[in-house]
Amino acid sequence: MDHIRNFCIIAHIDHGKSTLADRLIQRCGAVEAREFRDQILDSMDLERERGITIKANTITLSYTARDGRGYELNLIDTPGHVDFSHEVRRSLMSCDGALLVIDASQGVEAQTVANLYLAMEFNLAIVPVINKIDLPSADIERVMEEIDRDLALDPFEAIPVSAKLGTGIDELLEAIVAKLPPPAGDPEAPLRALLFDAQYDAYRGAVLLVRVLDGTLRPGTRIRLMHAGVEHKVEEVGIQRLRRVPAGQLSAGEVGYVLAGIKTLSGLAIGDTLTEAERPAAQPVPGYREAKPVVFSSIYPVDTNDYLDLTKALEKLKLNDAALVYDKDSSAALGFGFRCGFLGLLHLDVVQERLEREYGLSLILSAPSVRYQVVLDDGSEVWVDNPTFYPDPSTIKEVFEPYIKATIMTPERYLGAVMELCRERRGVDTKFNYLAAGRMEVTSELPLAEVLFDFYDRLKSLTQGYGSFDYEVLDYRPADIAKVDILVNGEKVDALSQLVHRDSARTRALKYCERLARTIPRQQFKIAIQGAIGGQIIARTTIHPFRKDVTAKCYGGDITRKRKLLEKQKEGKKKMKMVGAVEIPQAAFVAVLRTEDDEDSRT
Amino acid sequence: MTIPPQGQPGLYLHLPFCSAICPYCDFAVMRAGEALRARFVDRLVAELPLAAGAWADPRPFDTVYFGGGTPSLLMVEELARLLDACREHLALTTPAPWVFLEANPEDVTPEVCRAWRRLGVRTLSLGVQSFDDGVLRFLGRRHTAAKARAAVEKAKAAGFDTVSIDLIFGLPGQSAAAWRRELATAVALAPDHLSCYQLTIHPRTVFGVRAARGQLSELPEGAQAALFELTHRVLADAGWPAYEVSNFARSPEHRSRHNCKYWNHTPYLGLGPSAHSFAIVPHASAGTAGAPVVARRWWNEPRLRSWEQRMAAGERPLAGEEALGPRELGAETLLLGLRTTAGVDLDDFATRFGVDLLAANALLVANLAAEGRLEIRSGPDGRRLVPTLQGLAVADGVAAAFDLPIPT
Repeated sequence: MDHIRNFCIIAHIDHGKSTLADRLIQRCGAVEAREFRDQILDSMDLERERGITIKANTITLSYTARDGRGYELNLIDTPGHVDFSHEVRRSLMSCDGALLVIDASQGVEAQTVANLYLAMEFNLAIVPVINKIDLPSADIERVMEEIDRDLALDPFEAIPVSAKLGTGIDELLEAIVAKLPPPAGDPEAPLRALLFDAQYDAYRGAVLLVRVLDGTLRPGTRIRLMHAGVEHKVEEVGIQRLRRVPAGQLSAGEVGYVLAGIKTLSGLAIGDTLTEAERPAAQPVPGYREAKPVVFSSIYPVDTNDYLDLTKALEKLKLNDAALVYDKDSSAALGFGFRCGFLGLLHLDVVQERLEREYGLSLILSAPSVRYQVVLDDGSEVWVDNPTFYPDPSTIKEVFEPYIKATIMTPERYLGAVMELCRERRGVDTKFNYLAAGRMEVTSELPLAEVLFDFYDRLKSLTQGYGSFDYEVLDYRPADIAKVDILVNGEKVDALSQLVHRDSARTRALKYCERLARTIPRQQFKIAIQGAIGGQIIARTTIHPFRKDVTAKCYGGDITRKRKLLEKQKEGKKKMKMVGAVEIPQAAFVAVLRTEDDEDSRT
Repeated sequence: MTIPPQGQPGLYLHLPFCSAICPYCDFAVMRAGEALRARFVDRLVAELPLAAGAWADPRPFDTVYFGGGTPSLLMVEELARLLDACREHLALTTPAPWVFLEANPEDVTPEVCRAWRRLGVRTLSLGVQSFDDGVLRFLGRRHTAAKARAAVEKAKAAGFDTVSIDLIFGLPGQSAAAWRRELATAVALAPDHLSCYQLTIHPRTVFGVRAARGQLSELPEGAQAALFELTHRVLADAGWPAYEVSNFARSPEHRSRHNCKYWNHTPYLGLGPSAHSFAIVPHASAGTAGAPVVARRWWNEPRLRSWEQRMAAGERPLAGEEALGPRELGAETLLLGLRTTAGVDLDDFATRFGVDLLAANALLVANLAAEGRLEIRSGPDGRRLVPTLQGLAVADGVAAAFDLPIPT
């Protein structure tokens, strides 16, 4: 086991983690030059496009050290955004050490510290890496000071590199071998393997990624998933290079994949422990915590016929994204769908995009909501995250909503605007402090619900793109909540109902009405779009009808062409939802329900 | 479904020649010299037996329409030759069908009018387009307003049963006052029939090219609607009520009995490039009243050149055809009916297509009625769905909004 190193790379977002992974992979020759593309571990298109790593990936590298010994380096790439700390946690559980990457010009950031604490929680050995030393603004000495002062790590252990240029990569590989410990564990003990990730292969079923802590996994072994309580027979084990490479066995300390012909995905939970059915381990691997969703939204297929495909896609995605929770939901306007819980807004975004890209689905997501705690007059308590199930207001005694602690980094010149934004969004205990020359950190306790609706976009636009934002959930506090309904020609559109703070109900309702008015095409009669709380109308817009929509000439008997035009128009209408006699294109729901808000914020 | 109420079939001959091509025109037309014209007449005469062979309807044609193009460019002898050929190969009503002729104002003289009347022309349709010299120049027409007025006078004096004039409105920049003046001129000339077309800029025309370059644009929708309503109000008040989106007649007998065939599924046979034909064919397996029928529509090669090549090869110059079932006929019945002031006969529709239009579109009809676009009228001939003036202005959109669950 001495020749194995299981490690991950952790960093604040954008500090160059994926580029560093690329360089290590290239240096170890795991990839032919022609196969190489940037950020190779980010196999999802989405990741490469956004430059963020969402899904942790694993790859085994072969490295021959300067002392001539060969090593097997298991690199586990981890996501950098706060929404994905759940994924980070799982990755860390399968490692013995971590490279903590710090940007040479940005220095230590909020997530650098948070990730370090996480790594320490799992007793990982740490090698600090100062990246981007090629930048003109790089200030290695200042970063070393920060490593000493803010992270309490030995700054002289830090390896300066430029992942972009490949500088310092050899030194880093030597440090991985020298400073990070080999895995512990007993190959002869009863099997304990941590299931830390899974993928789905259309031909082979579930691909389990595991870290073997004790014992040995071989083809033919009958395994039991300790939490799920189900058993499977192992068909193949191996290590994950750029593609799967079968091996005779995986023993204590090793990281690899397991194929066991698992076709049904329900019951597979990331974080579960694999053991041998014949000779089970006494205890599962400890330390696994269930991720708690804080943001909720209903997902509907644009084409109601795609419901079954959506069901299957969610099942497969869930296998790969343990933090996603969902349940059946339905709407009069949008048909059958799922109520989903997410770790945060980015998570929501990523799930939507993955469903759309990887499964080719076209989706509509209802307005994201937080989960409210509602205390009724009779003293009973309900949790509501779906406006459809909001109790009759006359029976409600009190409502509580989740608060977050927001941490915002901004250049000093935008401080006023950022403070004002926090105030607008009902922020309390808003504070700021200087991080370094010209850089400020603003903290504020905000209702999570206020952050769901275009907060990040507003922040980006107020700070000309320089502001960054992160948050953690704090607690539940009393809130004055109203359920706002949207009516189209007097008919309620259930999918557009939302729970909002009473003070912002009018503004929000008006915004929805205006967006709908922009996206519902004009029809042959007037359309009234209203926002209402109960029976009270609080916002209204009108779509005026066509006044001229007829061709002048209809001669010569070519009625066929005219009818075909009409048939084409009707074909387009099949994709519309009827609310009363009003045709609402799916695009209108998409436009109304999108969280970002370019058009509105420009005005 | 049953055979729709039909009159006798109509015959259309397309003469694709013009002395110049108007910049707004998207019809199948071209400039041509005398030799080409003579060859064309030969070929059109040759198409008659081919078309007649495929025409099964035994009833005689009671209308013959010379359209174009500019049929008045043909010599009287050429028109006569065409009519003779029609009589030779097809059944025409006796003593004579109602003949329509489209003519350019500059071609109208008392002498030629007399000759046309002798041929049997009963409706002379004059391509006046405008009574404003500036507008005529803009439209690329070669006549003047004075010539146009004189042509109408001459035609009226010649004693045609119906003198009709075509006008175009909704030109870029046209004001309501300017268009009102033209309508006043038209009213003062007192033709029997008027067609007023709102300008549409088609992509494959000179105007279309200019529009694509941003040099020209259609009026905004609000102004179009205002001019449309103005046209209908002024003409109705003056005694020319509309019977279709663009057509106005002094009295019902002056309505275009040929064009109405296109709007109520009366069979028609078309000859010449781009001409369309339509026939209701009793279903092979049925013969009694109420038996299902299938209609067919077919059309000729749209371009003169391709039509001539097919004719030269001795083939029928067909470019396409389609069979129409109840669904297609139902959709057309609705879209065509909503373009006419008579509207759609609801009981007849229910009988023929098995769909109660009102029941299938209750909320839509209520909304359209509340918006003042449709009315349901009950009369001696049953219930009708009738467009209002505002409804005529949006007839295409209204037709598209209806749900037509017609069983096949």
